Amino acid sequence: MHASFHPQDNALIRKLESVFALTDDERQALDDLPLQVMDIKADQDIVREGDRPSRSFTILSGFTSTYKVTGDGRRQIVAFGIAGDIPDLQSLHLKVLDISVATLTPCRVGFINHEDLWRLCMRHPRIAAAFWRETLIEGAIFREWVVNVGRRDAYTRMAHIFCELLVRLKAVGLAEGYACNLPMTQSEFADAIGTSTVHVNRVIQELRANGLIELSGDRLNVPDWEKLKHAGDFDPTYLHLENAQAAA
Amino acid sequence: MTLTLQPVRVATGSDEEGMLVFDEEQRLVAVLTHLGEQYDGLSGRWYLEAGFGRLGVQDHPTYADLDEAQAWIRQRLARER
Repeated sequence: MHASFHPQDNALIRKLESVFALTDDERQALDDLPLQVMDIKADQDIVREGDRPSRSFTILSGFTSTYKVTGDGRRQIVAFGIAGDIPDLQSLHLKVLDISVATLTPCRVGFINHEDLWRLCMRHPRIAAAFWRETLIEGAIFREWVVNVGRRDAYTRMAHIFCELLVRLKAVGLAEGYACNLPMTQSEFADAIGTSTVHVNRVIQELRANGLIELSGDRLNVPDWEKLKHAGDFDPTYLHLENAQAAA
Repeated sequence: MTLTLQPVRVATGSDEEGMLVFDEEQRLVAVLTHLGEQYDGLSGRWYLEAGFGRLGVQDHPTYADLDEAQAWIRQRLARER
């Protein structure tokens, strides 16, 4: 069992397999990728805008936010990262980071040297293609978020984010049925959907009152998936999942 | 600048108490809402429900009381773009 040497990096393999069919060899090559594992507390920057990293990181467990800050100090979260994601994969090709990534919860991350990533891609062109596909899907998610923030009302935006997170978590085995852990605070959701904490509070109350979501602590449960999808104007096509079941 | 306040009920979903805020020329510049019990850490604060002109900001702030809200509004209205 090679996996026993790197028990944590299965998240990356699970993630890639959710969007790309890997062979045993490719799975093994990913499993053999040297990782420098690090545990990071909640609310810490992992990388910052302007950095010139010589490595990227994959999330082994926990949640991150990818964000940018305006000139007068206001934060816009542009993506949430979950286990298996490589939020700063772009730095392999784009030398200066144009985003910052912070932990939302305590995270275990695995740093991968760019040299090793290059070598992996040279030896396994199909893995390079899988990363490319993954990057394209990341772009598709950003486009969906532009529509969300620019044109949907706060109630729909919030429902949309819940749908997206649930489907993404489900695709990497981190949801049970239509329930998952969702540790984001209302203020973090506000920064992601471009509205105020007060407004997020109100739309979440409304979603609960309408029976679309149940929240207890960090736990989200969706009693009626079709209804939430409809409320969130959510069509999972843009996530381009291999297993359409995950998006059902 | 002297601001005038006029109490109003705001249909936010839970029918909250609020204030219309007028400038010296009796033009409506903002609507403030007094946040009820359901807002955890923000309950009891005043929220910029809507702001017009220079008060049309993306992230609507909250204020400890009406004095703080009015100070913010005055400062914002006086500011050059």
